[in-house]
Amino acid sequence: MTVRFAGLTALDAVSFTVEPGTVHAVIGPNGAGKSTCFNVLSGVYRATTGSVRFGTAELTSLRPHEVAALGVARTFQNIALSPRLPVRDNLLLGRHRLTRAGFVASGLRLPGARREERAHLARVAEIAEFVGLGAHLASPVGLLPYGVQKRVELARALAMEPKLLLLDEPVAGMNSGERVEMAELIVSVKRSLGISILLVEHDMGMVMRLADRVTVLDFGKRIADGPPDEVRADPKVIGAYLGES
Amino acid sequence: MSRLITWAAVLVAFVAVPFYLEGFWLQTGLFAMSAAVGAIGINLLTGATGQLSMGHAFFLAVGAYAYVSFSDDLGLPTPIAAVLAVLLAGVAGGLFSPIAGRLRGAYLGIATLALIFGGQHLLFNVEHVTGGFNGRAVPPLEIFGFAFADAPELILMNVPFGALERLWFLGGALLLLAALFARGVLRGRPGRAMNTIRDHEIAAGVMGVPVTRYRAGAFVLSSMYGGLAGVMLALVFQRTVPDYFGILLSLDYLAMIVIGGLGSVGGAVIGAVFVSLLPQLLTRYSDALPLVSAPGSGGVSPAEAARLLYGAAVVGVVLFLPGGLLGLLRSLRLRLPSLPTPLPDTRSSHVS
Ligand SMILES: Nc1ncnc2c1ncn2[C@@H]1O[C@H](COP(=O)(O)OP(=O)(O)OP(=O)(O)O)[C@@H](O)[C@H]1O
Ligand SMILES: [Mg+2]
Repeated sequence: MTVRFAGLTALDAVSFTVEPGTVHAVIGPNGAGKSTCFNVLSGVYRATTGSVRFGTAELTSLRPHEVAALGVARTFQNIALSPRLPVRDNLLLGRHRLTRAGFVASGLRLPGARREERAHLARVAEIAEFVGLGAHLASPVGLLPYGVQKRVELARALAMEPKLLLLDEPVAGMNSGERVEMAELIVSVKRSLGISILLVEHDMGMVMRLADRVTVLDFGKRIADGPPDEVRADPKVIGAYLGES
Repeated sequence: MSRLITWAAVLVAFVAVPFYLEGFWLQTGLFAMSAAVGAIGINLLTGATGQLSMGHAFFLAVGAYAYVSFSDDLGLPTPIAAVLAVLLAGVAGGLFSPIAGRLRGAYLGIATLALIFGGQHLLFNVEHVTGGFNGRAVPPLEIFGFAFADAPELILMNVPFGALERLWFLGGALLLLAALFARGVLRGRPGRAMNTIRDHEIAAGVMGVPVTRYRAGAFVLSSMYGGLAGVMLALVFQRTVPDYFGILLSLDYLAMIVIGGLGSVGGAVIGAVFVSLLPQLLTRYSDALPLVSAPGSGGVSPAEAARLLYGAAVVGVVLFLPGGLLGLLRSLRLRLPSLPTPLPDTRSSHVS
């Protein structure tokens, strides 16, 4: 795919494939185009040219909620939760595509809507437990520490029961303890849920440990793509990172 | 348990009002109930979904005039005319929803100004439906032979039960139903989608919420609440007056939800009561108040004084009470340990 903003090519004919059930990392210096790539995959931006396929479905021209309906979930680099709603409601929002109750059914509190709410609340509680948020279900998200909010982001995406999970810098801004916890969590998501994960991360140690395959972007171009060890030894990658820092 | 007692006390007080208070206060209370229904509607749109509307008065006008026209011109039974009037307000909102779905926040506010100016033009000029400048007389509601009017005479416990006394109970019932419905919407799946559109539109879409459709849906729902408020207003006032449904009324509604508390049913009701009661209180006690004088006698009229006062209230709330009056009440209750403390309503919030 290629994405151009007025006068700036954020992604330049970038191409890669995520194998089902794997963790695939996209790395690169700041401004390389990683988040732009996620925005195209999730329907937020439209690629200028190129195409994105998910299984047999063509995502390129779908709107975000249509992409979500196919089972693609994502988290945001900058937290994008509803700060005044409790964790529970933020996670229930993840169930939106799996539930039906509309204005009339909710307004009249029809039995079907109430049953649906109860059932999905139970599943949300399970997911919260899995992610280590069990104790926070009733707390407004805005009152929780940053590291916990990052986990709420992940839990909300998991609440969508996705087939593909896009994680945009899940440990950015976290301390080392929190990073380790989050890395373990991602491993257990992969193991126990069998979800394919596309991961954007600056923490190299984490990428090398978690990823089955790594794609490296620099200034919107793909400069490497392969298993972690190979990519780490690639002179172009070393150049891009050393040149930056 | 104590919650039950509170509600029982509210119910008793509500039932007692028509037996003790005079017509002036009943009418004021009924205006407040109508305003509360309308304010719940705009709070669903502006407070909960973050979509500004300056066009709320237009939908009140649709409700009020449609009720008159359906019952008098088409000869429909009045309850059916009332239901159809609310539905028509919804249809009018639906016709505007291609715009309401696509424009965000303040941009929608600007677009909805067109509704007010267009509406005013129609109200003054389509005379055979609207009665033009003079408006139209409103036929009283009649349900199964029971008329919400002064005749036939009805006396309960030595109190003559005229139109206002009868409407008092109808208004209370309608407000209760409107409030419960809105609460169900806000606490359920649509409410979460609406709140997320307000807080983070992109996240809402990515989580599977069809943003355009929900914005349009919230607009239609809020239009129907406006329509119902218009029908109630017409029944109480017994006349529709075109001037009334102008931009100032829309601004009143925005003031109500800001003062009461954005995004919640309780906030809308409290704000509506505050904004409706204030001018009436000032009118009633204008001789006792400095600076405020009777209308037409020079000086500040009670209506103007009220607008100045709640203009100040809006500024005060925005600066000092982020949760509105409802938020203030909650924090007062939290400070009194003897009272039951409800869960904080995390849904009320500012438009972002
Ligand atoms: N909506 C937009 N309009 C214009 N330019 C944009 C837009 N979104 C991103 N860009 C530009 O595209 C380039 C790539 O940005 P992107 O956010 O994808 O980088 P990134 O790799 O995620 O960086 P970081 O590591 O800092 O998050 C940047 O130069 C950015 O300024
Ligand atoms: Mg980024």
